[in-house]
Amino acid sequence: MTVSVESGVSKQAKKVALWLTTFLLMLVMCLPGLWVVLSAFRPNREILAKPPVWVPEDLTLDNFGKIFGFGAEQVGIPVGSYFTNSLIIALTSTVIALIIGVAGGYAFARYRFRFKGGIFLGLMLFRAVPGIALSLPVFMMWSRLGLVDTKMGLIIVYVSLNVPFTIWLIDGFFRQIPPALSEAAQVDGCTRWQAFWKIEFPLAKSGIAAAGVFAFLTSWNEFALASQLTRSTDSKTLPVGLLDFTAQFTIDWAGMCAMAVIIIIPALILTFIVQKHLIAGLTFGGVKG
Amino acid sequence: MIRALTTRRSEMAPFLLLLPAIATMLFVVALPLVFSLWTSLTPYKLTKPNTLYDFIGLTNYIRIFGDWDFWAAFLRTIAFLTVALNVEFALGLGIALLINKITWGQRTLRTIMMFPMMFSPILVGFQFKFLFNDHIGVVNNALQSLGLTDQAIPWLVDANLAMFSITLAEVWMSTSVFAILLLAGLFAMPRDPLEAARVDGCNSWQVFRHITLPFLMPFAYIAMAIRSLDVARAYDLVAVMTDGGPAGRTELLWTLIARTGYDEAKMGQANAMAYVSTILSVLFTWYFYRKLVAARRYMGGVE
Amino acid sequence: MKLTVKLALGTALATMALPALAQDYGKFDGYTLRVKLIGGAQYEPLYAEIPKWEAATGAKVEIVSSKNHFELDKEIKQDIAAGTLDWCVGSNHTSFAPQYGDIYIDLNGVIAAEVIADFVPLAISQSTVNDRLVQLPRHSDVSNLFYQKSLYEDDAKKAEFKTKYGYDLAPPETWVQVKDQAIFFSNPPDFYGFQFVGKDEAVNGRFYEMLVANGGAMFDDKWNPTFNSAAGVEALQFFVDLYAAKAVPVGVPNYTWDDTGLGFASGSIALNLDWGGWSTFFNDPANSKVAGNVGLIRAPKGSGGKRTGWAGSHTFSITEGCDNKDAAASFVTFLTSYDNQMVEARKGLLPTRTKVWDDAIAEFEGAGNAFSAEVMKTFQTSMAEDAFTPPLIPEWIEVSNVMWPKLQAAIVGDMTAQEALDAAQAEAAVIMKDAGYN
Repeated sequence: MTVSVESGVSKQAKKVALWLTTFLLMLVMCLPGLWVVLSAFRPNREILAKPPVWVPEDLTLDNFGKIFGFGAEQVGIPVGSYFTNSLIIALTSTVIALIIGVAGGYAFARYRFRFKGGIFLGLMLFRAVPGIALSLPVFMMWSRLGLVDTKMGLIIVYVSLNVPFTIWLIDGFFRQIPPALSEAAQVDGCTRWQAFWKIEFPLAKSGIAAAGVFAFLTSWNEFALASQLTRSTDSKTLPVGLLDFTAQFTIDWAGMCAMAVIIIIPALILTFIVQKHLIAGLTFGGVKG
Repeated sequence: MIRALTTRRSEMAPFLLLLPAIATMLFVVALPLVFSLWTSLTPYKLTKPNTLYDFIGLTNYIRIFGDWDFWAAFLRTIAFLTVALNVEFALGLGIALLINKITWGQRTLRTIMMFPMMFSPILVGFQFKFLFNDHIGVVNNALQSLGLTDQAIPWLVDANLAMFSITLAEVWMSTSVFAILLLAGLFAMPRDPLEAARVDGCNSWQVFRHITLPFLMPFAYIAMAIRSLDVARAYDLVAVMTDGGPAGRTELLWTLIARTGYDEAKMGQANAMAYVSTILSVLFTWYFYRKLVAARRYMGGVE
Repeated sequence: MKLTVKLALGTALATMALPALAQDYGKFDGYTLRVKLIGGAQYEPLYAEIPKWEAATGAKVEIVSSKNHFELDKEIKQDIAAGTLDWCVGSNHTSFAPQYGDIYIDLNGVIAAEVIADFVPLAISQSTVNDRLVQLPRHSDVSNLFYQKSLYEDDAKKAEFKTKYGYDLAPPETWVQVKDQAIFFSNPPDFYGFQFVGKDEAVNGRFYEMLVANGGAMFDDKWNPTFNSAAGVEALQFFVDLYAAKAVPVGVPNYTWDDTGLGFASGSIALNLDWGGWSTFFNDPANSKVAGNVGLIRAPKGSGGKRTGWAGSHTFSITEGCDNKDAAASFVTFLTSYDNQMVEARKGLLPTRTKVWDDAIAEFEGAGNAFSAEVMKTFQTSMAEDAFTPPLIPEWIEVSNVMWPKLQAAIVGDMTAQEALDAAQAEAAVIMKDAGYN
């Protein structure tokens, strides 16, 4: 009796220790990021100091004041339109990439067809082309098509950034769903489409959620192409807006950190919400049995 | 008859399903690549649009292949990618295995784990540039306050430290990607073989080595390949942190291309270099893809 | 001239209803002027004034782009490449302007001569490329020497310095004195006597002004690069010596303007050659530890007896393809008007109109803001007497890009100053030859 209680206690202790270790490890990993978040609430004077100021003496919202234009500064940064642009562009491009990606991933996982390997590889290799090699030609094409400084222009680019890896991920997830499930449904009289929609799609939710988070984060944070293809408040996104805190010879690092917090929080919230669906979805591997 | 029709339709189906994906990639990537291939065969200067029509053959390629600075940047880029991807993989695997064991509060831990993914590469660049500032940066301040050194360590200047610093920033930014993908793999793992192996008396290491790891390898290669698709975004970060300096010590292909193409407006020559860097990225992806296919075969899966 | 005629006409016909601006800017009802303006917190206050011009003229202003200068530079090059110069007014800079060829019009004749006459003559001549006034200056930039006042008020330090160097410790008049004092004040890694930007065009600019101050020149009359002269070696050696003596932070080869500015604000740098734009930041207690302790003197002299004075101006240009150059000219005149330069001068930007300099100084003095008045006076003198631009040729950036890695190589000790400059000179000579000079 006592033995089993003891081992239970030590098991419990082990669990707690493991949790704490992991948590501390994560915390250390996050430190460089947390420094940015903390800096958003401190004046420049304290952030980059010699001798260093380890314990914040002065926590303030002034840096956010500079962005939104309250407090001493009357002129803010058009963060509202940056935010709206970022949100529209990231969400739209994610949804489109997911639709295209699910269709493509399903085709790769479920069909045998000619040039399959070649097409798959081709899609991936196109994605591997560095943005810096594309920036000028894309700009030239976009300017002919009137897509420069439009949300649509950036959405198209981000869809192409995200489609290949969405396909890749979703292909992988579909492969793990036994074709027998859908075949059984088809035997029971479902069409292939119904079988997909009723059986396979729900099981692939985790893959789709994961791909969606990735696509969203890529679009939300992308800088290099956005800085080339956007110009005004019509389409400038939050990461491009970060540079509003730099002038030719000066930088306001605290202001930039405050802006960074504005960028990070929605992404973090979304990731946290989707985590739940990830948990529900990721366990589907067990279904396979 | 009916049977034949269905076959025909199901032959067409995958192509129809793939059409949007293929069209997008051709439009946004292939078409621009044709244009940039042409510019790489001209002395194209951005500020002199007419130079776009002077065909000069392979002159740009001959010029860059004869330039030692270009080769140095080329080799440095390969070294940077190799080190960064491997370190990210190892750390990501460790984190994924650790988190996989956690049963309580895992959702929160997973979100924390993904925290660096919320940072735009341009922000990561500024962030690490200031962290690594030799004089007022937090890293040196901490080391000095803790009494570990009384020197100002030149993180972004010393030849080895500077490469280390930009690699660290890149690793910080991207390890989470590996961790989350590998964790997804661990979740998808069937329990039966694991339990069977335990019943057969395998120890944890043997289970990991012979069951978990082979099962994870396709995920690992997916992660590797997906990361290799996207490595060039490290450009934003390096551009802010060192921009290839000092004295060319951290020059990567991307910083060299950007400077040549935009600052100096020599787009023809820059696109010739961009082609080389494209081929390099493609080879990296190709390599991991082959590995992925091999790993799947090993597992006896499809293709 | 054209504009004045139009303005006169406008005055004759104008209704008296609109709230009066000091000047009449003409009438452009229903016209939409497309502009590209340098963005950033420092520059926004001026743009908040734009509705006044819109109200006065009936035109609308559409800001089609707003970015920092380096990003804007890329964008304008892309526009040239893609043939999309479909906008009228663009922010420009004296250092960037020569690269753009003839996409911008000559403002002589488009902006009234009386208007141009109100600007500081040197700023106008620096805005002129190949005898064409391609830009109207908005505000100027030049560097002067900021220092921590308290360091020069410490009697013990004064005595120690005197015995060591044989002359009185006072804010330095020459760069040789700067070197002495920088080494004297330094106590690495906690405190440094001096610092400099060590990369990109920035380090090249610092080298270039030192070269000129030492009596050297970048090019000879035939555009042969001559910066590897004795004056050039002496200039580069200044940076090399300070770096070797640890009188500057060891990270300087990777510093740009943000690092030096934030460094001085941290209170651990004695002397800092920096741009006027930082003065408000340095003296703001929320941003800077040295607030209240900031001294400023004109940039010291080099061995040629000349002061360093690498300068430039933020400007506005009008595109050749603009469909309503009168409206564009009116807008540029408005943005650089007396009232608007006063708005920017109050925020610490250096004006380009002679009268704004005087009135801004008077206003600061009247408000009891001795620091800002002193800053303005110092920069007024150096803008009028010491300022010079880099060579106004399209190849400058390209030459600069082959030079700075070599300068860095000398600073970190990979090469001697002479070797580095010789190597850079050889590469620069090829560029100049390729470009068709000599």
